[in-house]
Amino acid sequence: MTMSKLNKVLMISLLVICTLWLVVPFTMAVLWSLVDPSQPWTADKLLPPAMSFYRWIDMWQNSSLKSALFTSYALAPSAAVLCLLLAAPTAFALGRFKFPGREVAKTLCLLPLVVPPFITSIFFSSVLFQLGFTGWRFGAILFAHAVLFLPYAIRILTVSFEQVRQEHIDAARDLGASHWARFRVAYLPALKPGIFAALLIVFIQSIEEFAIAFIVGSPSIVTIPTLLFSALGQDFVRPNAAVLSLILVVPNVILMLVLEWLLKSANPTLSSGKG
Amino acid sequence: MVAIRIDELTKQFEAFTALAKLSLEVEQEEFVTLLGPSGCGKTTLLKLISGFLDPTEGTIHINGKDVTRTPPEARDTALCFQSYALFPHLTVRENLEFGPRQKRISAHDRKARVDDVAEKLSLHAQMDKLPNQLSGGQQQRVSLGRALVMRPSVILFDEPLSNLDAKLRDQVRIEIRRIQKEYGLTAIYVTHDQNEALAMSDRVVVLNGGRVEQIDTPEALYHAPKTRFVADFIGDANVFSGTVQGEVQPGLWRVETAMGTYDVATSTPPKEKDVDLCWRPESAVLGDAGHTGKVINRAFQGHFTDLMIETKGVSYRVQSRATSAQEGDTVNISIPPEQLILLERTA
Repeated sequence: MTMSKLNKVLMISLLVICTLWLVVPFTMAVLWSLVDPSQPWTADKLLPPAMSFYRWIDMWQNSSLKSALFTSYALAPSAAVLCLLLAAPTAFALGRFKFPGREVAKTLCLLPLVVPPFITSIFFSSVLFQLGFTGWRFGAILFAHAVLFLPYAIRILTVSFEQVRQEHIDAARDLGASHWARFRVAYLPALKPGIFAALLIVFIQSIEEFAIAFIVGSPSIVTIPTLLFSALGQDFVRPNAAVLSLILVVPNVILMLVLEWLLKSANPTLSSGKG
Repeated sequence: MVAIRIDELTKQFEAFTALAKLSLEVEQEEFVTLLGPSGCGKTTLLKLISGFLDPTEGTIHINGKDVTRTPPEARDTALCFQSYALFPHLTVRENLEFGPRQKRISAHDRKARVDDVAEKLSLHAQMDKLPNQLSGGQQQRVSLGRALVMRPSVILFDEPLSNLDAKLRDQVRIEIRRIQKEYGLTAIYVTHDQNEALAMSDRVVVLNGGRVEQIDTPEALYHAPKTRFVADFIGDANVFSGTVQGEVQPGLWRVETAMGTYDVATSTPPKEKDVDLCWRPESAVLGDAGHTGKVINRAFQGHFTDLMIETKGVSYRVQSRATSAQEGDTVNISIPPEQLILLERTA
């Protein structure tokens, strides 16, 4: 077998695997969401016998989907911003100062990620309850998300702060720049990619987080994951779950594309100097 | 008029003394170079003058004003960084405008200043480019321009030529000196390159281990070094320990060394009997008179020939423009009394 033939075979197998991995589940979700309740989609049929947007309309009108969407999309960006603000001082210290035990401190910051998220969530919730911190449930979930996803934000921002070059800060200072002007001209260009990346990761983590949103929020606060789990759980209706998961996926994909584009515009050679 | 007055300036980093009781006065429009090997304290001194370091003791005055505790953003100094430190996301124009903007200079004046500097440094074609689109020499000029638009009382250079290749270095060196004269700037220039220091400066401060070895004009440093360190560091030198025998004629002192006896012409009588005797390789005369020595190495260098010669087990260097001496030959060497320099013995 020649090399090019082998390449071709490998290429085709890769495409097949990708298709199976990505396209099939997605198509299945789309098909399931379109099943009309008049005729069930049984295992002997390749396609649903009757298709309509009934489930979409029904879910939109008769479930807590609207409020769940609102809650999730209010929660995630707020958590991302709050998390970034909380992470910034630690990341600044870890990225800009040399002190004994810095590497240990960096590793310690990552440690919470090793523990299974459900466990941290349960314990964090119990802390919130014990502190009586649950009067405003939305706020409690927001705070919990911002704190739990700190390791991601701290790690990413630490690397960004390390990229800031001291001579740019010094040059700005020498030219008479105030603190704010120094931040804008020396720090911000180097931090930009890290800020976007941290926001994106915390946003996605928060949108998908179930345990805390469920324990702290239910029954008054419904987010997309808690709604999804209830659709999958006690009253398991596969077409409804399909509608929900599609709704959960689409905005995230759009957001990812937007942020990728933003990251590209924050050209790393521009922040690193001579290029 | 004195532009910068530095009094007994000391900087300690914990137990390490980077700079010890340094005093220096720089005149208005003077170009002073801080020269020394790495770790001699020259960069520390520059950072103290620009305000990035606080001195442990001593004071700094700029134009009669005490600025010892003034932060760099409020000091009337402008620093040219070794790595240029241009803001990579800003165009050349924005880089040049950055300083005047911080000082809230009106848009009209700002434009006038930037255009003037761009004209003088021929940066007009580069104004809308980003720093990474420029060559090293152009980046260097933008960095210089960014300091110049500040119209500072003092301009400070931190080894600005060390990232340029040799040919460009000469060109930029001449340019820096021209600009400094045109704007009538007081300049302090840090380098470890003695050629640069000799070629550019009005005066050179030779630093060693945080102390001043000598402050003098380039000519004086070369022809009349005061210490063995200066003699060695500036140009090539043959230095021998010797003992003063006495004054043989008014102004002519006899010194005994391992190589033989020399008569030294000096206006300042030696303070102690034990001295170091120094002469430059090119001041030796090869001829019929003087000591005999054996040529142990010969290297032709174009406009001169470099000889290593040995006399009584002591080897030294001689540079001669016209010699046919080969390795193994025996030659006669004499050194005119006025070319011999007596150095102070330093502990």
